[in-house]
Amino acid sequence: MKKTIFRLYYVWQWEKEEQWLNDMSKKGWQLVHATIGKFNFESGEPSEYNYRLELLDSNIKSLESTSYLNFLQETGIEMVGKCKNWIYLRCKTADGGFEPNNKTLYDLTHLLKLQEFTNKVRNTLIVLIALGVCTLLTLESFGSGHLADFVKGFCTGICLSGSLVSVFMIPFTKSINEKIKKTIKEMYTCE
Amino acid sequence: MNENIVLTEAVFYTLLALHAPLHGYGIMQETEKMSNGRLKLSAGTLYGALSTMLEKGWIKALPGEEESRRKEYQITELGKAIVKGEMARLEELVENGKKIIK
Repeated sequence: MKKTIFRLYYVWQWEKEEQWLNDMSKKGWQLVHATIGKFNFESGEPSEYNYRLELLDSNIKSLESTSYLNFLQETGIEMVGKCKNWIYLRCKTADGGFEPNNKTLYDLTHLLKLQEFTNKVRNTLIVLIALGVCTLLTLESFGSGHLADFVKGFCTGICLSGSLVSVFMIPFTKSINEKIKKTIKEMYTCE
Repeated sequence: MNENIVLTEAVFYTLLALHAPLHGYGIMQETEKMSNGRLKLSAGTLYGALSTMLEKGWIKALPGEEESRRKEYQITELGKAIVKGEMARLEELVENGKKIIK
C-alpha cells in the first residue's frame, strides 16, 4: 500500500519533522521519497526504519557531498529524499538506527549549520532592501513617468516584504542562538 | 608538540582500529567490538572524524582503489604518537583518581 502526504515544515522545525517520520515508521508507514512538502510512504514493518534529516555543507552534487553520501551508503544508510541541501536519510532500526553517540556534538553541528543558513538569508535580505532603497532614492530625484512609477512600486514591495520577513525571522534566529549557547554549556560537562 | 591534545572517544578508538587498514564500516564494527558494544559510532561522526584526522595527517587514505567507493584508511607515525600522548594523559588521570578516591 502507498500513500502521499502533503505537509510543510520550516527548516527550524527539523526535530518535529524527524519525529513525525519516525512516528509514521512506528505505525508501519515507511518514507520512500520526499521533496519539498511532499512525502511518499509505503506500508511495511512497523519501526523497520529509523529516519533522520541532515543539512549538507555543500551543494548536493558537489564532490564533497557525493563522497559523504557514498560513505553513508557503505554503512547501510540510504538517502530517500532531498530538498535543496536538506536530505532525508534512513537506516534499518535493526542496524542500530541513528542514535548518535555524542548527542550534544551532533546537536551543535546541526545548530551551527542552521545558524549559517539563517545568516545567509538575512544577508541576502539586507542587500535586497539596500538595493531597493537606493533605486527608490535615485528615482525620486530623476525619474518620472509610467515606467518609473512601476519600478518605484516594485522596489517598495521588495523593501516592505524584505523587512517583514526579517522581522519574522528574529525570534527564530534568537532561539537558534540560545540553543547554541545552551548546547555549548552542556559540552563543558558532558564532553 | 601536541602535548595538550585531548582526544574524543570516537577519535581514540578510530586511531586504534586503524593500526590495520580498514574502510569506514570496518572501523565502526571494530570500534564496537573493542569497546564491548558500548561505543557505537554514527556514520556522520565517523566521517567528520576521518576528514579531520586526514587533514591533520594522523591517518592516510590508502591508494589503489581510487574509483572504488570503499576507501581504506590507516594510521600514520604521527597518529601513533598522538595515541601514545593520549594514553599517558589518561594514565595520569586514572592514577590521580586512584590516589584520592578509593
